[in-house]
Amino acid sequence: MLHTHNNILERETKREKHNISINDHNDILIEVLQRLDGRSLAAAACVCKKWCSIVRNDALWEHLCFRQLSVPPSVGVRSVVLALGGYRRLYLMCVRPVVSRLKKRRSNGGHTEVVRRLWNRNEVELSLSLFCVEYYERLLLGDGGAVGGGESAAKSLRFLCKTVNV
Amino acid sequence: MKRNHTAVTAATSAAGTSSTTAADVTEKGKNNNNMWNEEDAGVDELLAVLGYKVKSADMVDVAQKIEHLEGVFGNDDGLSQIASDSVHYNPSDLHSWLESMICELNPSPEPVIIDDSFVNDSDLQAMIYPPAKKVKPNCSSSSSSSTVTGSANPNPSVQNNSNNQVVIVDSQENGIRLVHTLMACAEAIQQENYQLAESLVKQAGMLAVSQAGAMRKVATCFAEALARKIYRLSPQPPHDPPAFSDLLQMHFYETCPYLKFAHFTANQAILEAFAGKKKVHVIDFGMKQGMQWPALMQALALRPGGPPTFRLTGIGPPSGDNTDYLQEVGWKLAQLADTIHVEFEFRGFIAGSLADLEPSMFDLRNDEVLAVNSVFELHQLLARPGAIDKVLSAVKQMSPEILTVVEQEANHNGTSFLERFTESLHYYSTLFDSLESSGGGGGAAVNGGVDVGVNGGGVSPVSSEDRFMSEVYLGKQICNVVACEGVDRVERHETLTQWKTRLDSAGFEAVHLGSNAFKQASMLLALFAGGDGYRVVEEDGCLMLGWHTRPLITTSAWKIR
Repeated sequence: MLHTHNNILERETKREKHNISINDHNDILIEVLQRLDGRSLAAAACVCKKWCSIVRNDALWEHLCFRQLSVPPSVGVRSVVLALGGYRRLYLMCVRPVVSRLKKRRSNGGHTEVVRRLWNRNEVELSLSLFCVEYYERLLLGDGGAVGGGESAAKSLRFLCKTVNV
Repeated sequence: MKRNHTAVTAATSAAGTSSTTAADVTEKGKNNNNMWNEEDAGVDELLAVLGYKVKSADMVDVAQKIEHLEGVFGNDDGLSQIASDSVHYNPSDLHSWLESMICELNPSPEPVIIDDSFVNDSDLQAMIYPPAKKVKPNCSSSSSSSTVTGSANPNPSVQNNSNNQVVIVDSQENGIRLVHTLMACAEAIQQENYQLAESLVKQAGMLAVSQAGAMRKVATCFAEALARKIYRLSPQPPHDPPAFSDLLQMHFYETCPYLKFAHFTANQAILEAFAGKKKVHVIDFGMKQGMQWPALMQALALRPGGPPTFRLTGIGPPSGDNTDYLQEVGWKLAQLADTIHVEFEFRGFIAGSLADLEPSMFDLRNDEVLAVNSVFELHQLLARPGAIDKVLSAVKQMSPEILTVVEQEANHNGTSFLERFTESLHYYSTLFDSLESSGGGGGAAVNGGVDVGVNGGGVSPVSSEDRFMSEVYLGKQICNVVACEGVDRVERHETLTQWKTRLDSAGFEAVHLGSNAFKQASMLLALFAGGDGYRVVEEDGCLMLGWHTRPLITTSAWKIR
């Protein structure tokens, strides 16, 4: 009995000494955040300033967009996406609605196809095209060079925002 | 007044297949046993679909009674009376229901004689009944709501004028009447009986108001177009300022997938034709706002091997105030190209008609691969004789790698006015139907940040404005098809088969669009709310986008044989 009591005391003192906080270790934090889905990631941004600045790092969103892609995207994609507004915007405006819309359709269609969260090459291409069109539309409307400016989608993507009439 | 007729029993299934029991009110005996077969043979199909079995021979009788009934309703002093005290009879027992209605109300001696088919030259006779006792209408059948409109006319005349007091009881029934009225009006115009046409078009206008949704809008557009035809009003100055028609097309672009489909499928064909080429040139016959090209540029930027040098020549109609709007579009595209690191060059041409263009104007370079793109432009050339041939031979001279053509899938260029009218009525009804369901699913727009899923929210104001502008856009086309003639009538749509013949004889052969285009198109459609109704169909290598079973636009690709 005395032996275990000593062990517990030992552990507690060790804990006080080492006092691990996730906020001290950015790389661990990022590793964890990389595994979250979009919604959780956005929620994580609301936790504190530090987390907010980490979450706003576009690399996290790039990982989110492409982590379950069977073939990693080609080299040029990143520069294009960044130029058009970044991965976070891509995810919010295109990837999320496209994937969720198509997922709904698949489950409604009653196919034996597995409902998975990854997206295939065609979906990537379509999302990128729509993203580009949206950027152009903002140009037309005269938003100026405000890349990433304005959180709401230009009109050409409004159809993605509407709820599906199932 | 007793006559030999069959009582009607509601059928739960559609025309002709369910069994019926027939009971004669006046027993003539001998007909009893054979009733089933005879009845089956002679039922009116239209009503049978609705669930009523009415022998065709009795149709006139039933129709007369319905008219009679409406005429009696017409004397209602106020709408409030309609809402109260409804006594329900079994509406499926059509004939006896009518009898009971008429007995309850005060029938006047003269039955209305309105020829429902409106085909011959018989005069329309308006029927005015003296005000009788309080009206108790039956808020009838299951599905439709009753709408009542009345228009008072202090000078009732029996002679060849529009109905003075029209009471619309059943909007479903009136939908059918509306279509018939429009068709009859068109036929009257074809026969140059403008007086009859005039009264019919007024009637159509009134009936249209009783409808709801797509039907109402289509009917209103067509009624207006017919009116313009009758009164020989030219619908608009020869051309709307391009800024305005571009704006309308932008709204149409946003509301429904047709233009997006067109752009994506054409781009896919062009992309495949440009595979491996280092310098590419695209000539766009209808530049508008250039919405097609960002997607192509992005695909070129990301293709394996890197982007080519991309040159774009855009053609547009002259604008009234001489502004170089094409240059502005080109400038925006150049900005985009710069952003995604694609070498880009733009040139704009203002031309009154595509036939004015010569290959030599385009500065074609030997080391470049050319694609020519035409979205809804070629059909306009059919208004002038020889124009289409000139343009196609010019294209041939330029020896493009590929020619992409997107056109409406309909024959609105027939020689007979009635034929054109009927065709376009069906086509635009389908189109408006699809607008109705795709626009209607609108929820709130997502505003950045976290998931804001608003389910079943109200229609956002943008969406209804878009939809309205799209309807204006289509309405102008309808006006043009119906009310214009000769050089003014530019909306001369033709079907794929017709275009194939034309392009074949001009020396082109079809290029199959391939499965990538099909997949992309299907995916795009799946993204649209109401997307269940849209269908992509592959036909002979061309892709058709339609609403349910009706194809509406076709994308095809061609190369020189």
